Amino acid sequence: MSLRNISLRPSAPDAAAPTTSQAPAVAPATGRFPKVTGTADVILAATIIALVFFGVVMVYSASASLAARTFEDGYHYLVRQSIYAVVGLGLMVVLARIDYHRYQASYVTYPILMAAFALLVVVALGGGRTVGGAARWIDLKVVRVQPAEIAKLAIIFYLSYSLSKKRDQLRDFKIGFLPHILVAGVFMLLCLKQPDFGSAVMIGLLTVVLLFTAGTRINYILGAAAIALPMVYLLITGSEYRMRRIEAFVNPFQDRAGVGYQIAESLISFAQGGFWGVGIGDSRQKHAFLPEAHTDFISAIVGEELGLVGVSILLCAFVLVVYRGLRAALHAADDYGTYLATGVTLFVGLQAFTNLSVALGLLPTKGLTLPFVSYGGSSLLVNCAAVGLLLNVSRPRDVSAVLARTEAESTRRANKNDKVDRGEADSAPPKRSRWGAKPSVAASTEETRAHGARANGKGGRARPSTAPARRSRGSSV
Amino acid sequence: MNNLPVERRRWLKVRIALLGLLLLGYAGRVLLRAYSVQVAEAPVIREHVQRLQTRNVRLSPKRGTIYDRHGAELAVSVDVDTVTANPRELRAAGRDPAATAQQLASVIRGLNVETVTARLASDRAFAFIERHVTPQQGAAVERLAIPGVRLEQEARRFYPNRELAAHVLGFANVDGEGIEGIELFMEDSLRGPEREFEAVRDRRGRVVYSDHLLDSTTQRGQDITLTIDKTIQHIAERELALAVQTFEARAGHVVVMDPNTGEILALANYPTYDPNSPGRFDISSRRNRAVTDRFEPGSTVKPFTIAGALAAGTIRANQTFDCGDGSMVVDEENTIRDSHHYTTLTPAQIIAFSSNIGTARIAATMGRSGLYRAMRRFGFGEQTGLPLPGETGGVLRHYRRWYEMDAATISFGQGMSVTSVQLATAMGVIANGGRLMRPTLVRRVVDADGAMVQDNLPQVRRQVIPTATARLVADMMTAVTGPGGTGIEAAIDGYLVAGKTGTAQKADYVTGGYARDQWLASFVGFVPAESPRLVISVVIDEPLIAHAGGIVAGPVFRRVGEAALRHLGVPPNGGGQALAEHSARLRQARREARIAAREAARAEREGRGNPGASEDGSDDSDVDGEEGVVAARNAYAGTPQPIPAVARREPREGETLVPDVRGMSARAALITLHRVGLMPRFEGSGVAVAQEPAPGAFGAVGAPVRVVLQRPRFDVDEAIDPDESGTVASAARVAAPATGAAP
Repeated sequence: MSLRNISLRPSAPDAAAPTTSQAPAVAPATGRFPKVTGTADVILAATIIALVFFGVVMVYSASASLAARTFEDGYHYLVRQSIYAVVGLGLMVVLARIDYHRYQASYVTYPILMAAFALLVVVALGGGRTVGGAARWIDLKVVRVQPAEIAKLAIIFYLSYSLSKKRDQLRDFKIGFLPHILVAGVFMLLCLKQPDFGSAVMIGLLTVVLLFTAGTRINYILGAAAIALPMVYLLITGSEYRMRRIEAFVNPFQDRAGVGYQIAESLISFAQGGFWGVGIGDSRQKHAFLPEAHTDFISAIVGEELGLVGVSILLCAFVLVVYRGLRAALHAADDYGTYLATGVTLFVGLQAFTNLSVALGLLPTKGLTLPFVSYGGSSLLVNCAAVGLLLNVSRPRDVSAVLARTEAESTRRANKNDKVDRGEADSAPPKRSRWGAKPSVAASTEETRAHGARANGKGGRARPSTAPARRSRGSSV
Repeated sequence: MNNLPVERRRWLKVRIALLGLLLLGYAGRVLLRAYSVQVAEAPVIREHVQRLQTRNVRLSPKRGTIYDRHGAELAVSVDVDTVTANPRELRAAGRDPAATAQQLASVIRGLNVETVTARLASDRAFAFIERHVTPQQGAAVERLAIPGVRLEQEARRFYPNRELAAHVLGFANVDGEGIEGIELFMEDSLRGPEREFEAVRDRRGRVVYSDHLLDSTTQRGQDITLTIDKTIQHIAERELALAVQTFEARAGHVVVMDPNTGEILALANYPTYDPNSPGRFDISSRRNRAVTDRFEPGSTVKPFTIAGALAAGTIRANQTFDCGDGSMVVDEENTIRDSHHYTTLTPAQIIAFSSNIGTARIAATMGRSGLYRAMRRFGFGEQTGLPLPGETGGVLRHYRRWYEMDAATISFGQGMSVTSVQLATAMGVIANGGRLMRPTLVRRVVDADGAMVQDNLPQVRRQVIPTATARLVADMMTAVTGPGGTGIEAAIDGYLVAGKTGTAQKADYVTGGYARDQWLASFVGFVPAESPRLVISVVIDEPLIAHAGGIVAGPVFRRVGEAALRHLGVPPNGGGQALAEHSARLRQARREARIAAREAARAEREGRGNPGASEDGSDDSDVDGEEGVVAARNAYAGTPQPIPAVARREPREGETLVPDVRGMSARAALITLHRVGLMPRFEGSGVAVAQEPAPGAFGAVGAPVRVVLQRPRFDVDEAIDPDESGTVASAARVAAPATGAAP
């Protein structure tokens, strides 16, 4: 649903009372949101909890030797990861209970977007904490925040909100494509400034996939890719360290003492594990060879200690997460939920598969963690929060109300279009304030061409059923 | 998505399904890769790793530790840092060798910048910069963080007790290879099996993991426990050094042995050295004289002659022997003399008064072969088999090659040579009821796992003499340290000491006879005489202040014996009250003897400057009458020429001492005389048999010396091995006494 459409509806017959845009927002939620009729996806929740516990165990196994060396306390990382796990799962449960429609508002989406933007700017300007050659962290004493992670969630929120809002103008280049690409582009540039190539690519992928899912023209996406790929190539060849990473990826054993070291050691770990693995806790690589064994390369330790069996199970767990996530997207009450669920699923799944690919030498080193399993509070909290959202989306809802509401909205829009068609389009000034102008302009240009006929046709069918919906809304105002 | 139109909803579902398929494909690709890395290509990667990560490591095990008999560490290996470099890596990093060398020299003091620069400039993958640096220097080098320069751990041999038992232990070089002593002789055991195996190394090349590392025998060599007792060794070294310094001697050695087992409890040499830095010491101070140097033992072998004769039954203990009033004519040209004039003596008295004539008479009862066999059975003329490099067996020629006089002189220790260890071992026979023990220095060898590799139990080589004879001789020998005996300085309060003094003149190569001023003072004995616990042999080489064995070596025996007995916990007064009284009498006698000896020494010193004084100026009871014997050393049937009483004085300006060229070839005599600036006049041909002026006289530089040469004559019986008598001259020199100073 779109609040703005309602508030900007000057000619609505029953809109005499609400003169401000805030008016509908203060309406009781129960009346506005589709009624929840069931519980969240238990299988998904169980899988996530299992992954988090598995992560705690593996972090302990992988870090005990390092922790004993550096902190003289083998439980150093175990204790911390356990605390993060409890906090993260708590956050997940809390978010699973908050109706996702609450975020479907400009006053929620844009502040999140702006906050993420601000954090990225802070980090890009050098306000962050440098770890391993890249300034990616902001230290908040209690927990270190990685703005790129937050930016990814913010992009998902923004795209879901914006795509569902513009559901009828998605095929319009200026409305349905360009703004999203611009926002994502700015975020990507800020990520590259850190430099965090991996996050930039991830934001790009999220954006493109969500646009594609929502139904943007494939041509636009292909065009954007055609422009982006040469830039990516220039970026890689222009940066020495990225070049080295690529070289290391191509032949990890060539410069084993240098850049290829990590990837080579990771491959060695996997190879040592074989089919059944060397047994949990018996990894040899974690002692001296594989750096960051408990963070980015924890999958290598899984591969060594639990073998191909362990890796397969881990992979299956993430496939299950993706499956249940996309299932939630398909069964979501409305398109906002679908986009949200798709985005979050993609966020978790892509990260997991890419992390494994990096560890297995399929992709160049990125600095991505393995969701839920790798050590690190920031990563665990963000991922748990994301899955909390997903779990809420997965709750079954009373769809009839949604249908009614949306169709009423469509009718309104159709009426409005009719009005525009009848000649009001001429009176509408071509240069309006951006947000205000969009719906009408979109309706008059793209929508009429692409969806117009269909919408009108549908509108005709839907018209009789609009009355009660409108009435109910009217009464609630 | 229920808010979307049906058709859009369908397409949305299709796209989400497509997305799901893509993600599934991604997951499938990852799984395929995992399969290929973990199963399909795993052997290839592992092999690759094997090549990269592991290297064939030649792990030399840590050198074994050497302990004393009570487990005190005598030689240990400690890990120290060594600075090494990879010059190629240095070059690849673009570092200048000279600058790097300077940089290294700034933290390692005394580094030779030029050498290091040359090494760093070489095109090699490995170079030593400085071996065995201090931990501080190592840390400093690490801080420099020069690419290619790294620290490696090396084992360094460390001798915590410094000089203690230095000659026994020997030392190992910087590579941990034994160079001398036990370190050399037991090299294989100490070093351990050097094995080559694969080991996992980390990026810096340090060995991180290897199954072989778990096997401790590859890590450590075998540990050796010596029979040496650190305390007794320390006492022996201290007392020896004191004696050598006091009497201004050239050198000395002490052997302490347990007669019941043959275990060597102490083996001390002086001068000594610190095996931690052997390069700082002269090579002569590193020689283990107690086993490598042979010397003419003199009177100390008399008890063996008498024991041999008693065992053979050719004499009886209560028999008396005519001592010819101080001189005995062996044949028409050789005479043996005693320093004191005795008429008749019993064997016990012969030992107590150290009569050469009496001993020679006893030897004569056995015949040449009897004497030879007795000496051989006591272990002379063969190596004792100690695990020390360079042991000599001394010289005891076969009796068929003895000269006329040898049969007599060998009986009192001239014309043969022995080592300190042989002497102590032979004395052990008398102390141990006639049994010859194999001397041992290594008690046991244990590998790193604690398993016994070698356990040297006491080993009896043979019963040399009957136990009763050994007891009898031991009894006789207690008289030596009794009142009036020659070795009263060696007596120990509360214990009965059996022993024998020895005061031998050293052979002089220049005069061909015996040097007048070079003595070898010795005392060999055991204590307590009734149930011996210690055999101690003390030899002091060339003491200047005094020369009598009893005076010079006796006190060393006493002090070492006293302290060692206390250390071993042997109770004094084993003989009860009677022994205590005996000891009291002894103390009194010793005091008197000491005063007498001091006065005698003073008289001797004063007498030296007096040209008219004879060799009898000394009233030391232990002088073996070597001068009388010197005359007998001439093996040739020439004019019998006993050495005339020659003035004891220093040669004046323009004068020179006439050397003894008798027995030399014309050529050797020419060289010898020319060396001191005299002109030889030869008469006849062959070997020099006579000379004028006589040896030991003073001749003006450039003065002529008449030398009479004669062709040598041999008895048919005394066939000399051709290889030993290649020239007449060498045959003549075989007759010359073996020397104390090895080449």
